[in-house]
Formats: sequence, structure tokens, C-alpha cells
Amino acid sequence: MINVKKLTKRFTPEKGLFDLNFEVKKGEVFGYIGPNGAGKSTTIRHLMGFMKPDDGGSTINDLDCWAKSAEVQKLIGYLPGEIVFLEGMNGLDFLNLMQKMRKQNVPQKRDELIERFQLDVKTPIRKMSKGMKQKVGIIAAFMHDPEVLILDEPTSGLDPLMQRVFIDLILEEKQRNKTILMSSHSFQEIERTCDSAGIIKDGRLVALEDIHSLRTVQRRVFEVKVKKESDVETIRQSQLQTEVMGKKTVHITVQGNDQEFVQLLSHCEVEHVDTRPQDLEDIFMHYYDRKEVVK
Amino acid sequence: MSWPLYSSMMKSHAKMLGGFIYGAVAYIVLIIWIYPSIADMKGFNDMINALPEGMRKLIGMENGINSLADYIAGEFYGMLFLIILMVYVILTSTRLMARLVDQGSMAYLLATPNSRLKIAATQAAVIITGLALIVAFTTLSGIAASEWLISGYELDVASFVTLNVLTFLIFLVIAGYCFFISSSFNDEKKALGISAGLTLFFYMLNMAGKLSEDTEWLLNFTIFKLYDPIKMINNETDALLTGTMLVMAALVLFGGSLVVFKKRNLPL
Ligand SMILES: Nc1ncnc2c1ncn2[C@@H]1O[C@H](COP(=O)(O)OP(=O)(O)OP(=O)(O)O)[C@@H](O)[C@H]1O
Ligand SMILES: [Mg+2]
Repeated sequence: MINVKKLTKRFTPEKGLFDLNFEVKKGEVFGYIGPNGAGKSTTIRHLMGFMKPDDGGSTINDLDCWAKSAEVQKLIGYLPGEIVFLEGMNGLDFLNLMQKMRKQNVPQKRDELIERFQLDVKTPIRKMSKGMKQKVGIIAAFMHDPEVLILDEPTSGLDPLMQRVFIDLILEEKQRNKTILMSSHSFQEIERTCDSAGIIKDGRLVALEDIHSLRTVQRRVFEVKVKKESDVETIRQSQLQTEVMGKKTVHITVQGNDQEFVQLLSHCEVEHVDTRPQDLEDIFMHYYDRKEVVK
Repeated sequence: MSWPLYSSMMKSHAKMLGGFIYGAVAYIVLIIWIYPSIADMKGFNDMINALPEGMRKLIGMENGINSLADYIAGEFYGMLFLIILMVYVILTSTRLMARLVDQGSMAYLLATPNSRLKIAATQAAVIITGLALIVAFTTLSGIAASEWLISGYELDVASFVTLNVLTFLIFLVIAGYCFFISSSFNDEKKALGISAGLTLFFYMLNMAGKLSEDTEWLLNFTIFKLYDPIKMINNETDALLTGTMLVMAALVLFGGSLVVFKKRNLPL
């Protein structure tokens, strides 16, 4: 559905987007992550047709995002990263204007979303808090029931309860076979909603994985305490990556070879096994570290 | 044109537009109202004639005040109305495009299935409507005031309307280049500064050009050369030719604005 091919935009030699390639299939939820200034919003601006690529390009439903931007917009619901509305309106005025500009006059979904996010739409926009504006933005993105959703940091400014409402909304839309691309800094959000994730750093895609395979390549470190010192020796002799921490304590790193690990332990007298619960964050953090890139 | 956007823009624009209309109308009515007392004042024209020629040209009273028409054209159209329209056109054109891009709300307009051309054309329609309304209200109140507020002085309605149409067209061209600038820049302050700077520059050229014969050539570089209210109201200019030229220039400028806006990168 969304296709980014060789997308290149050079602001300066190091800043911009460089040869970006990825695809989001229909019905898929794609998480787009990366540190501040990596180029997430810039990619999204290209998808929205706000920017013209220097090289390559992107298509949505086989329509070029730059040349056919007005047509592409028929399919899209968009939530900008920095939300600014027109001046001198209240939330409802704004939502109405958006609907009219889309030649839409079914208010059901809009009202349902307003209800769901508990938004007081009669508040003038300039008096709204950040979270309230975010809600107006989310409603504007979802209310016309678009095929494709492009969301730039959708939960920023939302309280934890509303973040949950939002995640439920995403999961529902996913059930309804909508295609979603969302950038985010919240790993939990990505983990719970996305099928696959792209990690971008300094304008380059450094990893593109589906969430399940990310999980299987996930490293876990077990802290094993054995009863006899000879068991420590047994463990050290094994193929597994080990590190002796104390007289009877060993750290064993497991990555996809759980079977071996269990077999090994069956030869020992184990007193206690512990593992730090890890999540995707541990994988992503590795990509986030700025210094890595210099190497 | 996107009608929903147009009406929403006109609504949020109404207060400012109302202010300008009120200012223009109040001033033209006032100036017409005091005309009889100035016309009756002996020696007023002698006083004017005593001024150096360049000075007289500058304040729009080359031949003193001989008629109500000259008076309105020189006093109101030559000075205050000019400033009102300049300020209106510069502020509004900046607000309609560059400001929305600078702040980012343009993203929402372009995220609807309306093309950039359509959005920009709608915004252009807003400023054209506003300008037309100011001039229209001023024309009507000018005619009404000279008809009912004072007696014994005639205002030729046809040539007064001609003056107003030409004034509208001159400022349509100014609005055109301001709108072009506004469509080309991402920074609201920059767009405002350049529009205001350029317009002021044209105005200064006009003043300098009228000061003496040596500097007259400067007039060739300013749009205000075409704006001579006293000649216009006395039908001493070729209104049809000037009008046609202005309309063409405005078309080119607004058309160019749409194209520039369509083709450019937007940092939204
Ligand atoms: N119009 C522009 N001109 C020049 N440089 C730009 C422009 N837009 C963005 N940049 C630069 O490109 C880089 C990527 O910016 P972008 O907004 O895409 O980051 P991001 O990944 O969305 O970050 P964040 O997580 O903070 O939202 C930044 O270094 C930014 O300064
Ligand atoms: Mg961003």
C-alpha cells in the first residue's frame, strides 16, 4: 500500500534522507522509530506530498505522493507531528471545516471519537491544552474512516488512560484491515500495535524487521545460581556465552538457543534462575545510541 | 476554489476587514463633510499656490482645489486611502499564505483532497474579495456623503466610480506581488518584510520622481506612476488602457503565485 523507493532528500550532505526503502502492505501496521532528528517527520512529509524528493520517491496505492498528492489525500488520514490549527476557531468548527473540505457529511464516526476521547469540542483551540489539541488532531485523522493512516507521534501529550484508548483504536482499525504507519518514541506502543518496524537513524534506515522476528533475535541474560561449584565449571565448558559472576553464580546469554540452555541446566543442580524482563527497548536502544553511527 | 475554506477564511478575516472598511468609510465621510468650509475659505488656493511645484505635486494639489472631485481625489485617494489599502494588502497577503506555512496549519488544508492550486486560489479569492469590499464600501459612502451630507457641490458619479475601479486594480496588482511573495516564503516575518519593503520602495520612488524634472525617470520603476487620482477623476487618463494593463499584470502575478506554491517544498 505504502511504498518508499530510494527516497532521497539532501538538506545538507549529512542531513536529510538517504536512499530510503521500505514497504507497508495493506492491513499492516508499521512502526517508524528513531532518535530525534533522524528523519521520521521528513519521511512523512514526503508521503504527504509536502516535499519533493531529490531522488527516488514514494507511492501510496500506486499513486505518486508528490505528483498526485491531492488524489492520495483521499485515502489518507494524517496526524502531524506538530499540530497547529487555523486561528480563531473552536474544535468543532475545525472538525466541521475538515469534513466539508473532504465533502463528507456523516458525523457518526466523528461524534463517536469525540465521545471516546472525552473531548470538549466547544473549547476555543487557542485555549486548549496540548493533550486536547492532540485529541482534536487524532479525531481529524480518523473521522473520515480513511484506508491509510499516517500518524506522526500520535500519543505525544496524551495521558496514560488516553494512550490506552488510542492503542485500542489502532488495534480496531487494524482489525478492519486499515494500513497504518506511525512514528513513535514509545516502545510499548509499537510493541503492542505494530506488525513490523523500521528504525531510522541520521536519515538512513538501519533496521527493518517484523516485530516477531525482533522478538526471536532478542537477547536475554539469565542469572543462574547453582548448588555446587563443579556445576559452574560444567556451564563454562558449554557452547553458550557465559560469564561467571560469583562463586556459584553465572550469567548465561541466550539468543534463539533456548533448547541448549535448558539441556545444560538439566545437568546441573540449579538453586535459582532469574532473568531481567526485557522488551523491545533493549533491542532498539542499541540503534539509538548516537555514537554508534560514527564508527 | 474550495467554498468551505473560503467561507471559513472570510469569517475569521471579517473583524480585520471590518476595521479597515470602517476606517476608510469614516474618513471619506468626514473629509466630504468638511469640504464646504474649506471651499469657502478665502485664500486657501493662494496658500497652496505659494508652495513650490514639487511640493504641490506631492500632496496632490497641483492646481489647488477647484472642485469637490479634485479635493476628494487629492486629499483622500492621494494619501490616506493609499496607506489604508497598502497596509491592508500587505498584512492580508502575508496572513493568508506565509503565516499558515510558517505556523504549520497549512498542513491540515493540504491534507484534504484539495490540490495546492485550489487552496492557493481560495486564499487569493479571500484577499481579492476583501480589497473589493473596502473599495466598494468607500465608493458607496463617498457617493452617499456628497449627495446627502453637503449641498451645493456636485460629484460626478461616473468618473468617481472610474477612479475607484482603477484604484482597485492598482491595488490588485500590489496584492498580486505581495501574494506572490507570501506564496514563496516559509517565514511569515520575511514575507511581510519583503512585501512592505518593496511597496515602500515603490512609494518612495514615486515621491522622488515627482519632486523635480531631473528625477522624473524614477517614475518608470514604480507601480504608483499609474496611480494619479486627480487625473483619474478628471478623466485625463486612458482608463481602459490602464485598466487592461493592470488586469493583465494582476492575472500574471496571481497565476505565478499559484504555480510557485504548487511547485515548492513546504516544511510542514
Ligand atoms: N526544511 C528543512 N530544511 C533543512 N533541514 C531540515 C528541514 N526539515 C528537517 N530538517 C532537518 O532534517 C532532520 C530530520 O528532521 P525530522 O523532523 O524528520 O526528525 P524526526 O525524526 O521527526 O525527529 P523527532 O523525533 O524529533 O520528531 C533534522 O536534522 C532537521 O533539522
Ligand atoms: Mg518528528
